[in-house]
Amino acid sequence: MRRKSILVCGFARIAFVVLGLLATASTARAVPAFARKYQTSCQTCHIVFPKLNAFGEAFRLRGYRLPGETEEMVKQPPVSLGAPAYKKLWPQAVWPGEISSSVPLAVNVKLADMNTSSLNEDGTVSTVKNDLQFPQEVNIFGAGTLGDHVSYLSEVTFGENTDGSVSVELEHAHMGFDSPFGPEDLFHFRIGKLAPNVVDGLQEMWLSTNAGIDSLFGYNPIGFNGGTGLAEGVSPAPISIPAIVRGIEGYGIIRHRALWVAGLANGIGPSATDASGRFDGNSAKDVYARFDYKIGGMGLDGDTGGQPVPEKNWRDNSLRLGIFTYRGDGSNIDFSLTTDLGARRNIQDVHFLRTGLYASLFIQDLNVFSAYLHGTDSLQVFNPVTAALLGAIEPDYHAWFTQADYLIYPWLQAGFRYETLTPADPSVPSLRTSVANLSALVRANVKAMVEYQRDLREGDNHSLNALLRFAF
Amino acid sequence: MIRFAVARGSLVAVVLLLNMGPLGGAGASITGTVKVTGLASSADAVVYVLQAPGSFNPPAKPAEMDQRKMQFIPHVLPVVPGTTVRFLNSDPTPHNVFSPDNEKYNLGTWPEKETKDYTFNKCTKVPCVYTQLCRVHAEMEGYVVVLQNPFFAVTGKDGRYEIDNVPPGSYSLGVWHAKAKFQPKPVTVEAGKPAVVDFTFAR
Repeated sequence: MRRKSILVCGFARIAFVVLGLLATASTARAVPAFARKYQTSCQTCHIVFPKLNAFGEAFRLRGYRLPGETEEMVKQPPVSLGAPAYKKLWPQAVWPGEISSSVPLAVNVKLADMNTSSLNEDGTVSTVKNDLQFPQEVNIFGAGTLGDHVSYLSEVTFGENTDGSVSVELEHAHMGFDSPFGPEDLFHFRIGKLAPNVVDGLQEMWLSTNAGIDSLFGYNPIGFNGGTGLAEGVSPAPISIPAIVRGIEGYGIIRHRALWVAGLANGIGPSATDASGRFDGNSAKDVYARFDYKIGGMGLDGDTGGQPVPEKNWRDNSLRLGIFTYRGDGSNIDFSLTTDLGARRNIQDVHFLRTGLYASLFIQDLNVFSAYLHGTDSLQVFNPVTAALLGAIEPDYHAWFTQADYLIYPWLQAGFRYETLTPADPSVPSLRTSVANLSALVRANVKAMVEYQRDLREGDNHSLNALLRFAF
Repeated sequence: MIRFAVARGSLVAVVLLLNMGPLGGAGASITGTVKVTGLASSADAVVYVLQAPGSFNPPAKPAEMDQRKMQFIPHVLPVVPGTTVRFLNSDPTPHNVFSPDNEKYNLGTWPEKETKDYTFNKCTKVPCVYTQLCRVHAEMEGYVVVLQNPFFAVTGKDGRYEIDNVPPGSYSLGVWHAKAKFQPKPVTVEAGKPAVVDFTFAR
């Protein structure tokens, strides 16, 4: 009985989360402020936005600077905040900088027609047909550079709730220090609320799916026997692998082909009962790292090695391989659970480790990319009244996805993704989801999309959604 | 504007020639184009003869560098050693002039329509580049470039330059630019026969 309950709950959860992601998840970015600055098309950096081509990925990694950028490429000359000669006077003068000559703002608007079916805990099926979420989400970006070695990105997302209220989320707010010393692009530093490069380089995933990759980011590792499925409404938010962190990150490009990343992050937020107002649940910091190597195609910094670049700029025949890891510390951060007998318990994820592999293969108009993640947790169960340690387990889980995107025309792309998650709790079978997507650029900055998602274990959990997204 | 820039360079050279010492007589012009790829403009490059025989007296009248609309005008002013530069303020706001280069100086801050002079006679190894800055407006920047001789010109927006009345002879022609470094080029000037030298620099 308990197993069935968990299973049904799991179905509902995956249905809710996968289908509900349209209203919650977005790290996808299309920032027309850059198009204005360089007087260039979105297609310079994007295949079908927000998916980046190799040039766009180099632009991102270089701190929002074009590969080989020169003064004449910047069509909106910046406003000087100090003559360069003031560098000679430092520390007797402020180091010179600059700002963009126009306000570097950009807006993304997303409209959605939602059609969903989900299996409830009591065995009934809930369906929604043609729920016109107009708009579903509005993102406001501010992004650019402040002189030669400083960059920034901020994003505020507005979502309208069913009761008419508006939710606001600060998704990104970080400053970058780009090549402050050493060879160009070998050292970059970012500080703030940011998408860690552990996952940001996987951003091809954000194209054809309007949903995120839940198997990687949405898993809840907390449970008496380990995690059972995806997290929803869990406070504080447990960490599978974080899509956004508050932290400091260093990264760089080695010899055009290798990417190194090392970061430090707050980690899990405070317990639900913690009234201190802090953002970090404990004093320990999480750490993460990544290393990628790209074979063929354009270099990660946009270097072409003197070779001609394909006329069709989405083509980048190459193979990129990566390994990443994230180690977190959740000690003294309580997750409150109730046993089958109704007893309250606190669980702490004292320390956890995520390791993964990533691969992305481009062959002409086809891009196949995949990631595998293995996670281990050290869970300790406490009596919430006496704080006595009642038990400890070290469960592990794994998840992976693979996705294929094919560009039929420069404006039309088909995508298919399969993802699976094997939770730590052995009583819960693996979650398996598939997504099929067709994305069309009506204009370079207007995208129409039809997407079908299906829970492969339970046929009643599926969705068919149409979206219109535009950026300006 | 381009014509003005070229003419300005020529005019300065002519004025200086009137004051020069041993050289004189019929000369020829050196013309050409300076192209700095990657920069929005090829203006404000100083093309000059590195070394000409003889010594050259500074002009009797001060050269002028104005501060107008929050800019140093001209942006680049080449002079010979000993030249006095008169810094004007044509803005309704106070301006300051100082340079962090070479012997360093600070002329203070003064109001509209007033001027301050500074004589560039401490340059020991030409070219001496003096960045002109304003403490009141940190974005303002100009350059005074002290050269050995008056055979120089400043490029216009199209990168063109013309140095007039260069005495016949063989020289090295150099280019100074705030954002690029150029290798000198040889040039032979024959009487009444213009010489053409182009420069290209990729940033």
